[in-house]
Amino acid sequence: MTTPISDILVKDGFLTPATREQINALARKTDTSFLKVALNYGYVSRKNYGRSMENAGYRFREVRDEAYDEEVIEKTGLLFANDHLAIPLRIENNRVVTVMADPTNTLFIDFVRITYGLEPEIILADDLEVTWLCHKLLGKGHVKSSVFELLNRDPNSSALFTFTGPQMVSIFLVLGAIAAGLVMNFKNVTIIVNVILSVFFLVAIIFKLFLSLVGSRFELYQAVTKHELQDVHDDELPIYTILLPVYKEDKLIKKLIWNLQSIDYPREKLDVKLLIEEDDAKTLDAVRNLDFPAVFEVIVVPFHMPKTKPKACNYGLHFARGRYLTIYDAEDIPDTDQLKKVVVLFNKLPDHYICVQSALNYFNRNENFLTRMFTLEYSFWFDYMLPGLDTLDIPIPLGGTSNHFKMENLVELGAWDPFNVTEDADLGVRAYAKGYKIAIVNSTTYEEANNEPFNWIRQRSRWIKGYMQTYLVHMRNPIGLIKKIGWRGFIGFNFFVGATPLTFLVYPILLFIFLAYVIFDISSIKMLFPDWVLFISIFNLMVGNILMIYVNMMAVFKRRFYELILFAIANPIYWLMHSAAAYKGLYQLIVKPFYWEKTNHGLSKVNNPVVNIIK
Amino acid sequence: MHRRTLYLIIITLLLAVYYLFMAVYLHNLEYHNLESLFYSEKSKILFEGLGNRLKVMGLTSPILPFYGSFAFTFGKFYLLSPVLASAVGTAILFYIMANTLTKRSHDDFYLLILLVLFVFDPSLLYTASSGKATYLVLIFFFLFFYHIIRYYKSNTTFHVSIASICLLLLIFCDYKFVWLCLFFIPLVLFISINSLNLSEKETIFRLHQSFNNPALRRKLINKTVAIYIIIFLLPIASVLIFKMLNLTHADNFDYFLDSPYANWMVLADRLSFEQATSFAHFQPSQVSPLVTASIALYCPMIVLAIYLFRHNTYQILTIAAPFGFVQFLQIKYDKIFLAHEYFLIFLVLSLLCIVFRGHRHENQRLMKSIVAVLTVAQVITGYYFLKHSLVAEERDFVNTLFNRTPNDNEAESREVASFLNTLPDNEQILVDDAIAYPVVAFTHHIGRLTLPYQETYLSASEAPERYVNYILIATERNPLTGYTQLNNKYLPAIRKSDNRLNLQKVYETDNWVLYKVL
Repeated sequence: MTTPISDILVKDGFLTPATREQINALARKTDTSFLKVALNYGYVSRKNYGRSMENAGYRFREVRDEAYDEEVIEKTGLLFANDHLAIPLRIENNRVVTVMADPTNTLFIDFVRITYGLEPEIILADDLEVTWLCHKLLGKGHVKSSVFELLNRDPNSSALFTFTGPQMVSIFLVLGAIAAGLVMNFKNVTIIVNVILSVFFLVAIIFKLFLSLVGSRFELYQAVTKHELQDVHDDELPIYTILLPVYKEDKLIKKLIWNLQSIDYPREKLDVKLLIEEDDAKTLDAVRNLDFPAVFEVIVVPFHMPKTKPKACNYGLHFARGRYLTIYDAEDIPDTDQLKKVVVLFNKLPDHYICVQSALNYFNRNENFLTRMFTLEYSFWFDYMLPGLDTLDIPIPLGGTSNHFKMENLVELGAWDPFNVTEDADLGVRAYAKGYKIAIVNSTTYEEANNEPFNWIRQRSRWIKGYMQTYLVHMRNPIGLIKKIGWRGFIGFNFFVGATPLTFLVYPILLFIFLAYVIFDISSIKMLFPDWVLFISIFNLMVGNILMIYVNMMAVFKRRFYELILFAIANPIYWLMHSAAAYKGLYQLIVKPFYWEKTNHGLSKVNNPVVNIIK
Repeated sequence: MHRRTLYLIIITLLLAVYYLFMAVYLHNLEYHNLESLFYSEKSKILFEGLGNRLKVMGLTSPILPFYGSFAFTFGKFYLLSPVLASAVGTAILFYIMANTLTKRSHDDFYLLILLVLFVFDPSLLYTASSGKATYLVLIFFFLFFYHIIRYYKSNTTFHVSIASICLLLLIFCDYKFVWLCLFFIPLVLFISINSLNLSEKETIFRLHQSFNNPALRRKLINKTVAIYIIIFLLPIASVLIFKMLNLTHADNFDYFLDSPYANWMVLADRLSFEQATSFAHFQPSQVSPLVTASIALYCPMIVLAIYLFRHNTYQILTIAAPFGFVQFLQIKYDKIFLAHEYFLIFLVLSLLCIVFRGHRHENQRLMKSIVAVLTVAQVITGYYFLKHSLVAEERDFVNTLFNRTPNDNEAESREVASFLNTLPDNEQILVDDAIAYPVVAFTHHIGRLTLPYQETYLSASEAPERYVNYILIATERNPLTGYTQLNNKYLPAIRKSDNRLNLQKVYETDNWVLYKVL
């Protein structure tokens, strides 16, 4: 009789008998193996698991290149294999060659015996290798579903096709009309275009100011109060899934564990999934080499194009067990009480609220100019704009992380669009179009602000490209969109999602014309600015800039980041960076729309930020 | 809708009708003032004029009162639009104040007091039915202080930024309010100190503690600068932008302040002062620097307001800031009489303080008695101050309203305009509306006037025989003759350059002569 792994770990002193019972209870409850729970719920580190196994006389083997037989592997379900960290590969010498992380898992051994009618020949491999192999060999169907589910279910909401025929015709008609107009009457057409752009700019900016003022009215409003939090009983909390899509984030794994451990939520009710791409050996090794227990389950996402975060999240969704689900990035530091607040808020809100968005901000805000500007921007966006949109019942483009969903509704919506590079913004609009609502919670997740200009432009170009994609997707049928989200939502969507890339694209052109007019005194430009146009343009330039600077100042003032307030003046320079990113995004939208510009994280030198204490 | 809100809306509507009735009544008694005539004339140019109207639209100042009046222009009733605006605007002021009150207290006594003041106080009646833009100043002044006081309590960005927007609007209602910023500079420091999380309660000790601790000192400085920026950035930047627009469109940064074409106050204030000081019996007592005392006499409620806010030094300083402001105006603009508007801001401020704190006083019977007595006193002082005002328009208002005697101040302008109206439609008249805007306001066909906003004006003034048929000239007796090009010196000068020019005097009053170009 082989000694169960639980006893081996107790014997080696890595577990106490009481902990063993806890793990067993949790394993029964979650229908997973003992080892899976022990390694993924922070009971045993992988290193200690390896030591124990070797002390007990087991030897780990490399299994990635093991031969396998399709007929053999297809008899095992991915979920079952993943939960038990085992997979039968082939039949050899009348035995089933089975890779297992826990060779004492009798349930799986019995499964092999019953399924194949043969005894297993066990090859021991560490749990991450087994996971990798399971997903690689058995995950094809799941990954295809992750990529094509939305496309099959609701092709009009998929960004697989960037431009539809009518959209192409409309774009070329507008461009053609302008070109023809310029040829026929250059002066008047230029003046008209100039005025349209100026008025558009001004309206967009006034709209943002209005949103900010509406949003700022709720500064003192607490979506969830401290008293409500105190009334929460841990026993009544539901299982909460956290998806952590990562790619080459090996440097951040340790930080990630610290951050997850500080979340105030019962450990056994957290279902944390670290989604690692199949080819991301670095991150997998970083997890393997941890000196301390991990608090997440690794899910390996098999290779399939497009290689995007939404595809990984969709894949992770197949394994999620929670009633609620959220996404964090590897470097995120959520407020410790965030999950509880969301649960309380969901309980308070009507049923058609299916998502709660937390505010995002940065822990390394004072690192350099870029991080300061980023903080100004995010403070404005999450503290004023989103509450403003929420109050006015305009579709909220969700932030990249810390959006908390009701699982069943997320699945019903078709989850994230893997072809959209701002899948979050798209999902927010899609939720509104289906009659659902999104709420804002008074909790913040602190992220790492991009502190390197080229990295920043990469990240921003993806966001802007994603906004363009989202706009094009939802504007395929404008009348249909109006019917779904109403006039207010439609106008808000146009000014918020549609106008954002456009303003960044137009901004440097107008600035250039203005500077050429002021500095070089080019007389032909004067022709394009008759008195009344000049009046509007100067008013626009001045008022627009001042208002945007002011609302940014308001936002950091609210956050009490007083030292950043003067940096808001540098916004016009920061917008030029946006413009560079917008042109890059536009180029990519045309030539490689699904390409995911990877943002490098872990560049910040700010260590141990203490920001997520309960405030 | 909440029942009280509904009642409030009904009362406001009734009040607006009451003011409108009074405004029309005064209009029929031919009460006019220079400000409303100026706005009427500019509205008329915008609707019926020919030429660069955008400049008139963008550079007429104070810009918000002008737009307020412009918004109430219906048909050809240009003269009524300012009074309609002031009547409706004052009713809105009542609604804003009453709404603030009803949100804080369910005691109808204070609402009644507010209503009594708005119905009977001659100062507020003057605001409502004179056609002047005091109503806008009072609205934004009230909202500015309301949000500042709310900010003290809530410490929210919303209130401080709305206060900033109100300050900005206030400045664009009356540019002199830019000086109010001066008195908020020290105040902001007190506000910052107060908002620091310190155990010490006394302001002076909090200050001492903050300055002697590097971390606190940094925090204090950061916060103080931040509040300065949040409050003052918008007004200052907007003023700069407006000046920039003036520079690009009128080649003068201060066109909106200095030009009689853009701002009615440029000449009206001087005229008022010169007329008053030329009287033999002129008593300079009210020009005394001790204007604070006269404010306390005019508005004894302000003493009660200070009493209600006595517990916080910085809040008392907030209430005291307008005293400093008015005192400053008295010194800076020593050749101008303080308009009634600068007294009325204290009434609004006192009412705001009573709205905030009056109902929370422990002895309500005493408080209500005092407020009732002060309300009666306010009605009396309101009448007295208007009756004895050094500004003729204010005295005229009281005389016209209470004695029901037609006002003949603008009779001459009306007379000249009537004559111009009788001239043939196709004949052009050269008029300089720097001083002749009352005449223009009373004319029926602005299209036949050649005015300075038009490109042809300069040519017409240099070669009138080619462009116009008539020229309206200010006589030597006209008190504003020095502020127009078309005065008694114009004719010899133009004749010198063109000795073939023949002019025939066709109409003459004390202040105006109309020449026909032959």
